[in-house]
Amino acid sequence: MLQSNAQTRAEALLTARRVSKAFGRTQALSDAALTLRPGEVVGLLGANGAGKSTLSRIISGHIQPSGGEVRFAGEPLTLTSTREALRRGIALVAQETSLAPDLTVLENIFLPDLATPGRLSFARMRAKANDLLRMLGHEHVLPLDAEVRGLSAAQRQLVEIAKALALDARLVIFDEPTASLSATEVDRLFDIMARLRDGGRALAFVSHRLEEVFAICDRVTVLREGHCVAEDIATSTLTQGDIIQHMVGRDIGAIYSARTPTESIGETVFEVRGLRAMPWVRDMSFSVRRGEILGLGGLVGAGRSEAVEAIWGLRARQAGEILVRGQAVPLRRPADAVRAGIGFVAEDRRAQNIVPDMSVRENLMLAQMGQHSGFGRGFGKRADRVADLLRDLGLPADRLDQSLLNFSGGMQQKIIIARWLLTEPEILILDEPTKGVDIGTRSQVYRMLQDAADAGLAVIVISSDFEELLGICERIIVVSDGITIADLPADRLTEEKLTLLAAPRTSTARNQALLRDLAREHGGDAFWTLLDGDGIICLAQAGAELAGLVPGQAAEAQKTHIPAALTARDGVFVTEADGQRQTLLVQMTDRRGHDLGWIGLTLPGDVPPPPPDGIRGRVRALTRGPEEETA
Amino acid sequence: MTDTIPTPRRPNPLGGIVRSLEFRMLGLALLLAIILSLSSPYFLTERNIFNILDQSVVIGIVAVGMTFVILTGGIDLSVGAVFGLTGIVLALALKAIPIVLAVPVAVAAGAGIGLFSGVLIAVFGLAPFVVTLGIMAIGRSLSFILSGQRSISGLPPDLDAIVYSTFLGIPANVLFLLALYLAAWGYLTYTKGGRTIYAIGSNVEAARAAGLSTLVYSILPYVVSGALASVAVTFSLAQVMSADPLAGNGLELDAIAAVVIGGASLYGGRGSIIGTLLGVLIMVMIRNGLNLMGVSPFWQGTAIGSIIIIALLAERLINMRSARG
Repeated sequence: MLQSNAQTRAEALLTARRVSKAFGRTQALSDAALTLRPGEVVGLLGANGAGKSTLSRIISGHIQPSGGEVRFAGEPLTLTSTREALRRGIALVAQETSLAPDLTVLENIFLPDLATPGRLSFARMRAKANDLLRMLGHEHVLPLDAEVRGLSAAQRQLVEIAKALALDARLVIFDEPTASLSATEVDRLFDIMARLRDGGRALAFVSHRLEEVFAICDRVTVLREGHCVAEDIATSTLTQGDIIQHMVGRDIGAIYSARTPTESIGETVFEVRGLRAMPWVRDMSFSVRRGEILGLGGLVGAGRSEAVEAIWGLRARQAGEILVRGQAVPLRRPADAVRAGIGFVAEDRRAQNIVPDMSVRENLMLAQMGQHSGFGRGFGKRADRVADLLRDLGLPADRLDQSLLNFSGGMQQKIIIARWLLTEPEILILDEPTKGVDIGTRSQVYRMLQDAADAGLAVIVISSDFEELLGICERIIVVSDGITIADLPADRLTEEKLTLLAAPRTSTARNQALLRDLAREHGGDAFWTLLDGDGIICLAQAGAELAGLVPGQAAEAQKTHIPAALTARDGVFVTEADGQRQTLLVQMTDRRGHDLGWIGLTLPGDVPPPPPDGIRGRVRALTRGPEEETA
Repeated sequence: MTDTIPTPRRPNPLGGIVRSLEFRMLGLALLLAIILSLSSPYFLTERNIFNILDQSVVIGIVAVGMTFVILTGGIDLSVGAVFGLTGIVLALALKAIPIVLAVPVAVAAGAGIGLFSGVLIAVFGLAPFVVTLGIMAIGRSLSFILSGQRSISGLPPDLDAIVYSTFLGIPANVLFLLALYLAAWGYLTYTKGGRTIYAIGSNVEAARAAGLSTLVYSILPYVVSGALASVAVTFSLAQVMSADPLAGNGLELDAIAAVVIGGASLYGGRGSIIGTLLGVLIMVMIRNGLNLMGVSPFWQGTAIGSIIIIALLAERLINMRSARG
């Protein structure tokens, strides 16, 4: 075990030593250790099943340890309930929140108070809630009287955090808090965590997303199979490779293995036109070709899952055409889609994919059985293919009759993917294929998808993890508010650009309004675009189409009507060589100086240009509005 | 790549059998048989064993249908009323047409009622409890109306052939029961339809998303249940030679009890036809044994109720211990 060098740091608030926990005959933890200090964020890392959540739940009083010692604020800590943990100032913010959906935000924040005798003062609670939210930097963002049911995942988490703070928690454990958050929401959460840390609280951050660990954690503790394999090491002394090695016990190499596709990509086999499935899907169109991995990118709630569920016949469609191999197919039920040669790995593995009372074999053969036309189960039909798949999965045949629930999330996911490969589809749709899959298995899931594409399948992947999308897809369709807004090759994109593209319409409404105003007032073409060297990705456009930029499409500066302006980026109106057009480009940056793209205005070459300063001021006002004060 | 899979402990195959629910139920049934044979010298006689099997026929047939329904996560409270109603239908039909036509008419009536419930439940999404509760009230009411509130007797004497003819010394009704269980076991274990019924009860979302015909196989169990209720009443009529509008009162509870004692989960997806057979035998043995010992029949309810609760509690305790892993 590695030990940290002692520095001048605060006294430990919590020390856990040799903590063990057995569930029946399963030893979930055998030698776990954790040290948390005020003013620090400690990353608690490990592959799935390593015992991270078990340790968090012991510290927060959800379960009792079988052995070991936990000391809190200098005293031995023995908790019999979460209520007692909360009383001592220890709170757990879990991925699945423990809020009452029918109560309001305010009632939820003070839920523990509802158990105390005497009258409640709603006025005082309201004032205190506002104080708490101000401390978190989210005052006025969260309506106190809204029912929790209607909140987004990120908002629920905020309520959970406020609830912990209302009890004056000194130690807060965040158990995989980012799993259902979009990139911008993660950013905001980290901002809150930094505030809590700077306020002298001790924080633990449970995760298996390494880039997030590096973004927020001061130190890390790594668990593997219930043991502590690295304790309390400064993040700055580690690389991602070091941590992965600790987590899986060996070097797994690059997670994303580069694919050399393009030549194997064939004709379009699947196309969706004008899909509408209210209220989530308003107008989505995309197509995918044989041998291609297509990504559907966007934020949680953008309507991507709902769109593929509508295609799959699980949701009603109001409009839209689905073409398989160029033929319109009426898909009413999942069975129709299977017959048309489509496979679908739904988002929620436990709720939508796994049949829990069935063995690995039956889960594996489920879709095959549905497609089989005879009276029997049809298990014998694909015996060779099953044997091949099992060999690829590294699953011994003698474990086929065990319960699927005995296996890790990663293995379960591979079996579900194999379920669909068995039906020999031409199109495979996967919704968040690596959700809850540990890092050691993720690369194997990617390998399966790449092998499938190499074998000529058209693969569609939905993911909210932009790094993953960029790592495995050749082309990405960006979805925002139920509309497909961009269709771009992955090599032209970065995570930052995807984040900007995927932003909900409401958050870009001010930008769009400015474009419309500029176009109307000056009678030209106003646009919002990302510029990266010669590459251009237009985000939005209003007015006459003078510049030749198409929203949602990538382009080369030389192929637009305004190459000179795009190259010069001078801060004044630049007239093109042919004198037909003149263009002003103004860069937008946020308060931290991040590039938010350029606002451009192209006018006919023969009109007197307006003063650039006025336009620059209006663009600047966009990013310095009251909304940005809290970000 | 194989070494990256976290290896779950491998249960040894024998342990799997010992831990299986049917095995424990078999143990319970044998234990019960030993206790009863010790307390009454008549219990283990050939005559009494056939008696037990004979008494198992009606409830056993109905419990097969109930198993199908419960495996999908549903419940059929209407089987007792369907039993009564189709008994009246059969008796009236027997007065008009030959046996070989009358029995199919009655079975079709039972299946039709089941189809009606199944469609309401699977297509319109009504709760199985409520739909079959309604059918139960309607069925009982119609059987009183059809029968004119009295038993119908004077059935053709040939009818008793289906009970009293024997094959290799085994009565026809017992043979039918065993054949039915064998067929149901084969269907539920080895056919697409049977496995779909399990999948629906275990996770209907996953079954639908995998392209299984969830609609058809959500309705089918109610059809089977209704049809089997009328098959059961055919055997009952052949024995008592009269149709009573009140017949089958409380039969649904006996059938549910047998299925539950047999280890099925009322949430669906878990249970087996062999378990149900053992559940039926356990219930009938308790009744039979208490009779032989001269215990008042009013104690039977207490005995059976206790067995249900003890069986469920034991199951829960065992699951709690193993599920923590």
